[in-house]
Amino acid sequence: MKMEMISEIVAIFRRWNTKLLRQPIFLFFSLIQPLVWFLLFTQAFSAIGDIPAFKTLTGTNSYITFFTAAVIIQTIASSALQAGIGLVNDLDSGFMDKMRVAPISKSAILFGKLFSDAISTIIQVVIILFIGLALGVNIASGLLGVLMILVIAATFGIAWSGISLFIALTTKSSQTTLSVGLLTTFPLLFLSASVMPLQLLPSWVQQVAKVNPFTYIAQAFQNLIIRGFVWDSIGYALIAVLIIGVISLGASILVFRKKIS
Amino acid sequence: MLDDIVVVDNLRKTYGKGILAVDDISFRVHKGEIFGFLGPNGAGKSTTIKILTTLLEKSSGKATIDGLDIDADQAQVRRIIGYCSQDVGVDDDLTARENLLLQCSFHHIPKDKAKIKVEELLQKVRLNEAADRRLKTFSGGMRKRLDLASSLVSDPKVLFLDEPTTGLDPQSRQDVWEYVKQLNKQGVTIFLTTQYMEEADHLADRLCIVDQGKIVAEGKPNELKANVGADKITLWFKTDDLEACEKAVKALSNLQGIEEVGKCVVGLTTTEGLIIMTKNGSAVVTQVVRALDSAGIELEQLKLTVPTLDEVFIKLTGKTLNVIERKEAVHRGRMGMRS
Repeated sequence: MKMEMISEIVAIFRRWNTKLLRQPIFLFFSLIQPLVWFLLFTQAFSAIGDIPAFKTLTGTNSYITFFTAAVIIQTIASSALQAGIGLVNDLDSGFMDKMRVAPISKSAILFGKLFSDAISTIIQVVIILFIGLALGVNIASGLLGVLMILVIAATFGIAWSGISLFIALTTKSSQTTLSVGLLTTFPLLFLSASVMPLQLLPSWVQQVAKVNPFTYIAQAFQNLIIRGFVWDSIGYALIAVLIIGVISLGASILVFRKKIS
Repeated sequence: MLDDIVVVDNLRKTYGKGILAVDDISFRVHKGEIFGFLGPNGAGKSTTIKILTTLLEKSSGKATIDGLDIDADQAQVRRIIGYCSQDVGVDDDLTARENLLLQCSFHHIPKDKAKIKVEELLQKVRLNEAADRRLKTFSGGMRKRLDLASSLVSDPKVLFLDEPTTGLDPQSRQDVWEYVKQLNKQGVTIFLTTQYMEEADHLADRLCIVDQGKIVAEGKPNELKANVGADKITLWFKTDDLEACEKAVKALSNLQGIEEVGKCVVGLTTTEGLIIMTKNGSAVVTQVVRALDSAGIELEQLKLTVPTLDEVFIKLTGKTLNVIERKEAVHRGRMGMRS
């Protein structure tokens, strides 16, 4: 039974990878979007690096270095949207029914997709880091730190995708899945420590940011990029991933297990 | 009974606020037959097929497939059935071969066996030349053929086809019919739904006519048609002679097997003709001709019409099947955007 499920996940994982590679638009967006973010924000906000408190709080006076974490998180969040949309497409096309009639586990259908999305997240984060390097970002934690960033990015991506899967499975609408995702990503990003150090945010935003998972993921990335391995922040990030993951994936699997029409 | 592979008893399905989609239906599908569910849109055909294929929860009732309960033995049921939905459940980003290999892996068929199986299926549905093309370039008929093939990878005992030819062009429809018959010859029991009476007539060994969630009639197509009665023989005479016509009516009324003979009016030969209703048109025709011959009446034209399933439907439900050709399911654009 266990072995069967692994082969099911592998089959579905490979299907999505093939689909991903055959969408040239994927690579285009993975490249263009971070570039736009890097250029627009870091140009407009470059003066932030000159604030004396910024340097003492973050350990760098380069806003672009600090902002790399925000670009990564934004990319993960928009990738996560695709998980739900991919599922809705399968529901619409009738392919989902084919899978559901086959003797395979429901979880395999979800995890095959999530693991494939994790691969695409990793590819995108690597691209972002390369763009960052080209723009003068230095990664203090070195190659091991990059691996750590990828681990956090991939697992956070999977956990965050769970939310989009849940919305997709309950609404069965790609429009809703897309709009909910888009509408929440920006507020969450700006109400977190992703674009500005926590202490520089207005106090009400700080309160929100403290319960916003993006804050902990961002701080882990920021530390790995600016200072090196700060295990506290890595720990917090992984706890955030775990909490979100258990809730979002658990809920998605529950909804998915029910027979749907 | 051992011969019944699908057994459905008192099946009901209610959606949301009391919308009754399937209203207490019971039927049996015999092993090895093609069993049809004929009815208009909204009759509950798809709902029934989705319940039987374990995709949808029933509200009440009982159904078994090859002795396996669709709820209690869901996992085993899935191993012995194949299903083609109304939407063509294939992946457009993959090639035909990749689609079939994927289905094989869903059914845990080992790689080497899968390769042989896929080759065989591609041959069978004549897609071997297009096997390595992505489906984006496929026609509706090709996609449906692949869909059929992909539901066969597991060698199902029962194949469920939900409106297999809706939206297909006539040639593709013929193709699908041919495959369905071939499969059935190889021993696969087939349960199909359709809104086309020609399809039910052409394919089904037995069928249920369904309307508004209920089975309104069940039987062999010929039996159903025979029950609504009557074959119709229409006669047109050489001359428009009222007297001769009356003579003919008299001669015909005495024949055995004739149920009703029409009235003679002026102009009959140029209008609808003289209509005779009978139970058994083909047998009666020769007698009619002989009787007219001995009465010395010359025939201009004779037409024999047998009832269609559409007429059966009208008689049973008071409305026509009223099939409006559906456009092929529009493909929703892929949301490839990453914003």
